[in-house]
Amino acid sequence: MKTIPHALRLSGTEAYNHTADKRFLMIGERANVAGSPQFAKLVRAGDLEAAVEVARQQVANGANVLDICFDDGLIDGKAMMGRYLSLLQGEPDVARVPIMVDSSKWEILEEGLKYLQGKGIVNSISLKEGEENFRKQARHIMRYGAAVVVMAFDENGQAATYEEKIRICERAYRILVDQVGFNPDDIIFDPNILTVATGIEEHNNYALDFINATRWIKENLPGAKVSGGVSNISFSFRGNNVVREAMHSAFLYHAGQAGMDMGIVNAGMLEVYDEIPKELLDHVEDVLLNRRPDATERLLDLAERFKGQGGKKIEEDLSWRNDPVEKRLEHALLKGIDKFIDEDTEEALKQYGRPLKVIEGPLMDGMGVVGDLFGAGKMFLPQVVKSARVMKKAVAWLTPYMEAEKAEHLAGDIAAIKAKDPSLTDDEALRLAERGRSAGRFLIATVKGDVHDIGKNIVGVVLACNGFEVTDMGVMVPCDKILDKAIEIGADVVGLSGLITPSLDEMVHVAKEMERRGFKVPLLVGGATTSAAHTAIKIAEHYSGPVVHVLDASRSVPVTTSLLSEDQKEGFVAENRAKQKVLRDNFIGGPKKETLSLSQARAAGPQYDWSAYSPPVPSFTGARVIEGQDLRELAEYIDWTPFFHAWELRGVWDREAKVLKTKNAGGAEEAAKLYQDAIGWIDRIVSENRFHARGIFGFFPANAQGDDIIVWTDDTRSAERCRFHTLRQQIKKDSGKPNVALSDWVAVEKPDYVGGFVVGIHGADEFAAELEAQNDPYGSIMVKAIADRFAEAFAELLHHRARIEWGYETEAELTKDQLIHENYQGIRPAPGYPAQPDHTEKPILFDLLQASAGTGVTLTESCAMHPGAAVCGLYFSHPESHYFVISDLQKDQVEDYAKRKGMSLQEAEKWLGPWLGYVS
Amino acid sequence: MPQPDFTTELQKALSERILVLDGAMGTTIRTYGLNETDARGSRFADSSKDLLNNGDILSITRPEVIGDIHKRFYEAGSDICETNTFSATGIAQSEFFVEDPREHGGRKDPEFFQKIIENPFLNELAWEMNVESSRLCRKWADNIGSDTGRKRYVAGAIGPLTVSLTNSPDPEDPGFRVVTFDQVLEAYKHQVRALIEGGCDILMIETIFDSLNAKAAAVAVQEVFDESQLRLPLIISAAVGLGGETMISAQKVEAFWNAFAHTRPLAIGLNCSLGPDLMRPHLEELSGCACTCVSCYPNAGLPNPLAPTGFDLEPHHMEKLMADFAEAGLLNLAGGCCGNTPEHVAAIAKGVAGRKPREVPVVG
Repeated sequence: MKTIPHALRLSGTEAYNHTADKRFLMIGERANVAGSPQFAKLVRAGDLEAAVEVARQQVANGANVLDICFDDGLIDGKAMMGRYLSLLQGEPDVARVPIMVDSSKWEILEEGLKYLQGKGIVNSISLKEGEENFRKQARHIMRYGAAVVVMAFDENGQAATYEEKIRICERAYRILVDQVGFNPDDIIFDPNILTVATGIEEHNNYALDFINATRWIKENLPGAKVSGGVSNISFSFRGNNVVREAMHSAFLYHAGQAGMDMGIVNAGMLEVYDEIPKELLDHVEDVLLNRRPDATERLLDLAERFKGQGGKKIEEDLSWRNDPVEKRLEHALLKGIDKFIDEDTEEALKQYGRPLKVIEGPLMDGMGVVGDLFGAGKMFLPQVVKSARVMKKAVAWLTPYMEAEKAEHLAGDIAAIKAKDPSLTDDEALRLAERGRSAGRFLIATVKGDVHDIGKNIVGVVLACNGFEVTDMGVMVPCDKILDKAIEIGADVVGLSGLITPSLDEMVHVAKEMERRGFKVPLLVGGATTSAAHTAIKIAEHYSGPVVHVLDASRSVPVTTSLLSEDQKEGFVAENRAKQKVLRDNFIGGPKKETLSLSQARAAGPQYDWSAYSPPVPSFTGARVIEGQDLRELAEYIDWTPFFHAWELRGVWDREAKVLKTKNAGGAEEAAKLYQDAIGWIDRIVSENRFHARGIFGFFPANAQGDDIIVWTDDTRSAERCRFHTLRQQIKKDSGKPNVALSDWVAVEKPDYVGGFVVGIHGADEFAAELEAQNDPYGSIMVKAIADRFAEAFAELLHHRARIEWGYETEAELTKDQLIHENYQGIRPAPGYPAQPDHTEKPILFDLLQASAGTGVTLTESCAMHPGAAVCGLYFSHPESHYFVISDLQKDQVEDYAKRKGMSLQEAEKWLGPWLGYVS
Repeated sequence: MPQPDFTTELQKALSERILVLDGAMGTTIRTYGLNETDARGSRFADSSKDLLNNGDILSITRPEVIGDIHKRFYEAGSDICETNTFSATGIAQSEFFVEDPREHGGRKDPEFFQKIIENPFLNELAWEMNVESSRLCRKWADNIGSDTGRKRYVAGAIGPLTVSLTNSPDPEDPGFRVVTFDQVLEAYKHQVRALIEGGCDILMIETIFDSLNAKAAAVAVQEVFDESQLRLPLIISAAVGLGGETMISAQKVEAFWNAFAHTRPLAIGLNCSLGPDLMRPHLEELSGCACTCVSCYPNAGLPNPLAPTGFDLEPHHMEKLMADFAEAGLLNLAGGCCGNTPEHVAAIAKGVAGRKPREVPVVG
């Protein structure tokens, strides 16, 4: 059964789902006359334009929900609520977030509901005026489809103690769920955050009471959320923002641990918990957690020191330039600003005296913060890569100084090492000395026969950010070179990357060689075709050291850290082995899909009425070369969604709105920036003439014969020029759909045609290498990712042209969007992809088109195309032709296929490895 | 006469197969070649404004045409047809019967619409349109139902209105609205009561351009249910643009589902505005998040003045595209909007026949 997880699901013009993976729901509190005197002033003065601007800023600062409140004696709250919400409806940037209608007056809440097209929140109702009124209000809110905040009040007043809080919340919950039928996911309790450190002893436990009540609610009232007005907690320190900000974040930290889901917080009035000075934090936590009787007096004493200081600045400005140099470096790294990095690094060098101290000190500290935030999901990959760029620039600035020092340094280390163990040679001592200076040495390479390296480069950058010394050997690296290098540099971990199927076999080969040559270091495996299952079943068995599949770059850091940690390694490796055993057992003993024999599958192939169908005839036969394809035209055809996937930003790109549709708001924001960057890079690529797009396409007389497609030398159809071999689906289908093979879409008897094409983008590798040399890994990855998109766009454009040449589609019949979504007749499947996973069909296509001569694209021994930004495929015109997936191939077909291709069974099994439905 | 609540029966049918909705009323009426005199009949012969484009009035002046269209859709395979009541509210009818204050330098504003809401002629006309249209559709549902031995249903169509609750027509005054939520609510309540009285099995808030208008309609439905102590199944369907947002209020698909999930509709869906090809990503999004049935009745492609129906796609195109949707597991109810004739609906019915309905996810 399909399930959708329980969550508080809200919306403005966009959805906001507070799912389990979200941390804290941020409610913007500035558009609240009670919370912001400035906002109140604007509203009283009738300056609603400025008041709307306040809301806009809140959203820009990351508020997930906007709290709107006009409870003020000088304002007509009901009229203003309607007026203001109407104005917000007209502001697309603001209207996208859900609204929290906030008032203590029911008539204002009622009014606010009439302006919410999405699902908002009503804040708040309570049992203050008895159950009947409470039920009536809850029903009304439910009818308008809003979530509700319930204050912990009853007929006797406000709940202050833990016992009162949980008693009232439970009572309200039971009425809402059992009597009114309210969705429990839409219930939010506010168990009253009350001010501490007032000097009154009864108030000392207020923070703890709230935190404990929160824990109880989350454990006992399923679905219910907990919220609260956080600034209440620190009222006794009004005017002392440093202390207040520290109290807010410390309180949020502890309440968050207990399960508090959201709070009314001014994001600008919040210090980062980890950045609160230790002494202050201790004093604050003494108060909040009621840890000692004199906590309040002690905090008051300490607070004197901070009085009158501004606290955190909200506006973006250059005030960080006034910070000490360490903070400036950290800021530059966090924000990816390289403008001042040379001068700051120089200043740090003067202060620290030695370049290594600068690197190991402020720079690595800064990168440590970046690494932690990335690991915690608070920073996104493009930001991290930008940080790495700043880091590289700083290091490049220091390099000349370091070179001078290095000799001296190492000499000292070597002397010390040799003093300990006089039997070592100079070289061995040097290696040991160098080793002592990094978190670990990571060797990474794309295996022989494969040229894809965007993902591998990202892994390299991310690891380097986290203090690992990364040696990147590039692409198409033979096994012995990898292993020789690993010994030479004393690698602590070897990482292999690959995108195409044959790379999987090469990885198996590397694993076997590592075993044979007596390696013990962990082997990491990653890349698009790799999987945890393949790693467990095919690779791990051949190497006695740890073999770990790494899903993406963000996983590479924790995995490597665990593998190199004295304490964690053993447990991690054991867990990994156990998981792999389960995968292996499932594969061998697990349930199999029902399959057909090859003859049954052929009988279940599609039955088309060929007598009623005339295959279209192309305007020419043979191959045509496209030289000097205009890149600007190609840019129009780019499908951006996979570009963001390359950067590990998941979602779907909306061409119209130019936004990445994703569950992750931060990701969308990052994607928007990334897109702007990409457009800038495309401009540069085009104006500097960096890329050259070359392509070839053609049509050939062809007919099907069984599951093969014969290509004839000419239209007399008497002599065979070559033949393509196709594979047929063998999974038994319930839907009555046929078991297809590509050959089904070529006529057996009537004159028919197939087409073929190869396109390649030249120049990306060279440009990327140049950027690499300029310490710009971000640019390098960007350029390669863009080249990949250009190649796909070229394939799409050429297919469009080919369909027109083939005479069954007219110019301008389809929009770009339709083209990208492949809403047209005919397909262009590529060898090596799901409809025909065998890469060895590529040489046949290349020979037929004379593609290498025409386009400069060549094939490696694993049939990968070089340059990597290249696409090839066959064209089929049949109206029923569609993309499909080959899986679970049975031995009878593989035997038959091997015979047709003139290969041994073993060789065919090697190329079809992941698609086999049996153990070879 | 109010109908009983067939929710359980419909849910059972929806778990077994994809139910078929009807095609377009408006563009199909156009194929009958009616003129202004036909539309007015004798009853509205002296009306001061043109009535040819007031499709809903034909239920009163030319019931045989509207009945014929229902008959042809049911014969083509529709399980559910919509009543000819897209604009059967006092607010929408005022466009045809009340002088536009803008012609004399005035403006439409809440004061103007308050008079509309209280106008006895418009209220009685709207009531009659809803009741008569429902009865017409009811008659053919029952006739074809008993002829074929397959039960057919009547869905009372609740359209989007010609006014917006989220948009100001005055760029100088973005906070201004021509009409209030309460006025829209009142107009819809009046329509809902009449649709129930006319014997609809289902209520259908559809072609939603402005989600806040639709919110008012949903509140109206709930309030009428409460006052009359009955319940009918509800279908809610939005008209989205290329980026998947409601055409006026710009609400994205998942946001739309979140905003209407509380009504526990029998189905939520998309219709009008786009052809199936362009609708697909948005239907996929909706199908992925909605914990109820999903309906889809797109236009027959994009407007094309040269095509006989005025739209691009022919029946066989719709058959294939809707079959693809069904195959992808996106559909529980399928039909067509603008440009879809009974022939199109027959093709759509053929395309989805025998294909598994979308599995409805549960919250858990």
